[in-house]
Amino acid sequence: GVFAHLELLEERAYEAAVKQEEMEQQEEKLARLKTRVQELRLQRDELRAKVDLQQKGQLGKEGAVSNPAQPSARAVLEWKIKSLKAMLQIFYLTGISGKLSKRGVCFCISTAYEGTYLDSFHLDLLTKPEVQIYRHSVPIFIPLQQIAKKYLQTDIRRFLSVLSDHLNAYVGRRYQADQLQEHFSGQIEGTLQRNSLCNLLVFNYNVSSESKTFPFNVRLLYGDPCCSLPTEVVISCTPDAPAPLAEMAAAHSDLFRRVALHKAFRSFGSAGERVD
Amino acid sequence: MDKNICQVYEDEIQLLEEEIKLLTEKYEDSQQESTFFSDEEILMSINSLQKEFQGESKGNESPSDLKARLGSLETDLSFLMKFTGIQFRSHSKQTVEKTGNRTVQKHRLSANCHSLSFQLEFQLLEMRNKESVSAVITDLNIVMASGENSDMRKFVSSAGEHGNLLTFFRSLSSYAEWYEHRRCTFLHFK
Repeated sequence: GVFAHLELLEERAYEAAVKQEEMEQQEEKLARLKTRVQELRLQRDELRAKVDLQQKGQLGKEGAVSNPAQPSARAVLEWKIKSLKAMLQIFYLTGISGKLSKRGVCFCISTAYEGTYLDSFHLDLLTKPEVQIYRHSVPIFIPLQQIAKKYLQTDIRRFLSVLSDHLNAYVGRRYQADQLQEHFSGQIEGTLQRNSLCNLLVFNYNVSSESKTFPFNVRLLYGDPCCSLPTEVVISCTPDAPAPLAEMAAAHSDLFRRVALHKAFRSFGSAGERVD
Repeated sequence: MDKNICQVYEDEIQLLEEEIKLLTEKYEDSQQESTFFSDEEILMSINSLQKEFQGESKGNESPSDLKARLGSLETDLSFLMKFTGIQFRSHSKQTVEKTGNRTVQKHRLSANCHSLSFQLEFQLLEMRNKESVSAVITDLNIVMASGENSDMRKFVSSAGEHGNLLTFFRSLSSYAEWYEHRRCTFLHFK
């Protein structure tokens, strides 16, 4: 009867109130977002105008609040700090960079293949009571202790230079093998086998002669740890291979000794030498 | 329906915030790259900042901290220049392109390695991915000021050809040391 009816009315009123509140919250949220968008649009437009002015070289006379024509002492020093940091970053490009530490120096040796900078390696040196290596990130297959024994005490520069030679050569060899796998995988048969130092590479690649393909097996030995070209190249083909292939093998063998691996393969494609 | 409008606003907010961030960086980079303050001006600023700051604590870095940061960077730089023999005389850079994870900067450098002076111009492309930053040099231009002899010409031209900045510096260092050693030897015998 009456109570049930009242309950129903109460329920309906409650639901209506909840809906009303939801709607109001939604409207509030919408209004907030709209305001925020307008704020940001304004900020963005102001920045755009500032940057445009800057491009035209007129800033400084405008007296914009954040950068008056007469910069504050703090701003000048912040400028100098950024400028010094930029110069320290340039040192990274020279191959040897670092910073002084409480007990010595932290050196950073950077490596590159042509214009591409690759891994960098760190050496934490202590200088007292004598120069010693405290920590480093040089891989275990680089003869760090040997090089240190020879040069570290007498000529740190020479030590770093020789270490840099080893590291750059290693990274260079690795880079060539990686490039070969990445860009010429269609020509490689099976997997390219290499050791950690990347001074021994063995793989098979296909060569074609008279519309038949033959596999060449290549063994590259990089005898000089500071060099990224092989000292020994052995190319073998199957016994049933035709005679001109032996000539091609000799030519390739010579090429691999003189030219970086991935560049040699690139030259195969363009020279019309059928390697597929 | 309302939910969609909310989403549209939220998307626009995100885009605007990104755009603002990029514009701010562009503005600050441009400011940095087009300004120059001499050593005297730097010294004057250090002094005036210390005077201004008497008893203030605005939540800004104290002048002594700022001075310390500056000092430590200068010490590191001076150490490297002395150790490697490479003295940077001037360096200017210009951010040519800066998008989400890709930055291209043009650098101009004049320096000397022991007694050999040179100037460099190059473009540096840096790409940031999740774990590392890759750097590639292009458009490398090397000018040796001290007139070139055949040895120098060899490593300068081969370095320039392939953007081989690192090799240039390494060859230059050892060449310059040899050159310096030879020069000293000659002087000794004069």
